[in-house]
Amino acid sequence: MVHEHSADPAAATVNRLSVRNIRKKFGSLEVLRGISLEAHDGDVISILGSSGSGKSTFLRCINLLEIADEGEIWVDGEHINMVRKHGRNVPASSKQVDHIRAELGMVFQSFNLWSHMTILQNLIEGPVHVLKRPRAECIAEAEALLEKVGIAEKRHAYPAHLSGGQQQRAAIARSLAMKPKVMLFDEPTSALDPELVGEVLRVMRSLAEEGMTMLVVTHEMNFARDVSNRVVFMREGLIDCDGSPAEMFSGATSPAFRQFIGNFRG
Amino acid sequence: MDFVFIFQTMKTLLAAVPMTLALFFLSIFFGGLLALLIVWMRVAKNPILRNFAKGYIFVFRGSPLLIQMFLVFYGLGQFGFIRYSFLWPFLREPFVCAVLSLALCTAGYTAEIFRGGLRAVSVKEIEAARSIGMSGFLLVRRIIGPIAFRHALPAYSTEIVMMVKSTALASLVTVWEVTGVAQRLISQTYRTMEVFLCAAAIYLILNFLILQAMALLEHRLSQHRRAVPRLP
Amino acid sequence: MWIIEVLGFGQQGWGGLLIAGALMTLCVTIVALLLGAVLGTMVAWAKLSGNRVLSALGNTYTTVFRGVPELLIIYLIYFGGSGAVTAIGRYLGYEGFLGLPSFAAGALAVGIISGAYQAEVYRGAFLAIPKGELEAAEAIGMHRGLRFRRIIAPQVLRFAIPGIGNVWQLSLKDSALVSVTGLADLMRTSQVAAGSTRQYFLFFIAGGCLYLVLTSLSDRLFNRAERRANRSMPSSLGHA
Repeated sequence: MVHEHSADPAAATVNRLSVRNIRKKFGSLEVLRGISLEAHDGDVISILGSSGSGKSTFLRCINLLEIADEGEIWVDGEHINMVRKHGRNVPASSKQVDHIRAELGMVFQSFNLWSHMTILQNLIEGPVHVLKRPRAECIAEAEALLEKVGIAEKRHAYPAHLSGGQQQRAAIARSLAMKPKVMLFDEPTSALDPELVGEVLRVMRSLAEEGMTMLVVTHEMNFARDVSNRVVFMREGLIDCDGSPAEMFSGATSPAFRQFIGNFRG
Repeated sequence: MDFVFIFQTMKTLLAAVPMTLALFFLSIFFGGLLALLIVWMRVAKNPILRNFAKGYIFVFRGSPLLIQMFLVFYGLGQFGFIRYSFLWPFLREPFVCAVLSLALCTAGYTAEIFRGGLRAVSVKEIEAARSIGMSGFLLVRRIIGPIAFRHALPAYSTEIVMMVKSTALASLVTVWEVTGVAQRLISQTYRTMEVFLCAAAIYLILNFLILQAMALLEHRLSQHRRAVPRLP
Repeated sequence: MWIIEVLGFGQQGWGGLLIAGALMTLCVTIVALLLGAVLGTMVAWAKLSGNRVLSALGNTYTTVFRGVPELLIIYLIYFGGSGAVTAIGRYLGYEGFLGLPSFAAGALAVGIISGAYQAEVYRGAFLAIPKGELEAAEAIGMHRGLRFRRIIAPQVLRFAIPGIGNVWQLSLKDSALVSVTGLADLMRTSQVAAGSTRQYFLFFIAGGCLYLVLTSLSDRLFNRAERRANRSMPSSLGHA
């Protein structure tokens, strides 16, 4: 499938993130069947789709938690080098993998805070040990971030003592502490009680307003419509349709997408 | 590999297996009975009984079996009232001393395991039984006992393997079971490795058979927890 | 009064020797626990490696050393080790029997057994780490070594403390069997004292009491360590 944004590699280098023709199989099941996507600086892209459409796998492929069998990825102009082995891609350098991951922030559905560390320790772990920056500096930045997400008073608490919403805000702050070029959100509010969803979405919205480049896999239609500048609808491992929220939600899109949002309006 | 030697060793060691099995089964049987008594005291309302059971469990789980066995084997004979009692003909026997101390020791461990099983019995199940008029021994025999035993079974399997290994200590009070015979063979021939491998094989096979039996029991007792088989 | 005399610390008393024996028991067990920690980590790693040969080796290790009587393993190490030392001595020109020092043999034997139990403890603790936390570490670009040092090891240790406590108690009691090699530990000293005074009952009770002191004190120590390690868990709210 040729996507309208899949420009030539030279053009891709100016983007924060470029993905070309990603394919991924699990056994005989083809989860991603050729996905291409571009994110410019400051883009907030919501990725919608029913479960099993491959959205999460797509995000995990970008962060190299899964390695796509085929396709190419550029992060801030840097091409991720792959070698072919037994007919599928394998990263050429594990050093580059770590370095790319450090540039991409990932927020998980289940928070995945390290339970043996306090919130503050969770935040400075990456900057101190992966980026090898001075500890005092990292602590100052981490405290500012906690202030920003509204849980400064919890900095010496352990994750298990926080509510789900607080944990997810801490997890977002942990990603931000790495000063990522792009933030990836994998259904960040799906594991939360309904009354806690709002506080996490508020943090994400303020990030978007500051110009952070974000890819958000979500089921929150209001977030997709109000905050993102682009909506991508995935179906059966392909991008079914995409466009600005105005175009997408006006009704002039594919029948599958109309049916999808119809289900949400109930 | 000297197969003739290994064959001979195996034959000698296998002759001692009945002794190991006798120690094992008798101590598990008497230890189990004693454990029931101790666990009954341990959960009793009477503080004297309860504290006695606590002390018993503390002492027998907290000290090495070997010192307990020596205490029974060497220590009891020191007292005139035991030496001249009707029990002496039995307590003089190393085999009886070994079984006695093995049973006393495993009772401490088993009591704790059974108590863990008891805690798994929910108040609701007991209430339901009371509501149809069950009480006392009937309640224990039909409801509490079976539920507790099912929950205790995995931990009890572990204890049983420990007991198979513990029978080896009987050799130190001159009961000729497998380990004792193996030690004698080693000091006669200095072929440590071959003798060890033969003895180890015997114990591993015993463990395997016992664990298989326990697994079979567990399988039969846990039918209620398995899903209903789906029709094809 | 004779009880105080034989158990006391005077000329006729065995008190000092019993205490020394208890310290020897403690030493053997500590060395064995450390040795077991190294062996256990390696065996747990082998079992989790996913490599078929390595995990078969790991399984054999834990099956054999948890399934065979401790006494038999002590004989294997003591007699087998002495045989090996003698053979080396003969190679170097020394004729005659050379024994493996009983402390080394005992600590090695108890350590090997302890390693088998510790391997299971570490394996269980590793499997208890939420997979997401490992993924989060990967996602911020931690490489393998860093991940092991900063995320896996501290968590495994935390989950493993109760298990290590149990293994410690087991090893403490197993160490009594080392007395068969003649090492003057608490068991052996009680035995010698009992034999030479003919006060079997008294000395085995005294030895048993010292073992109870060791096991209950160490039990308390491990409970405290467990509470400390679990301060990040929800239940610790109740303790705070």
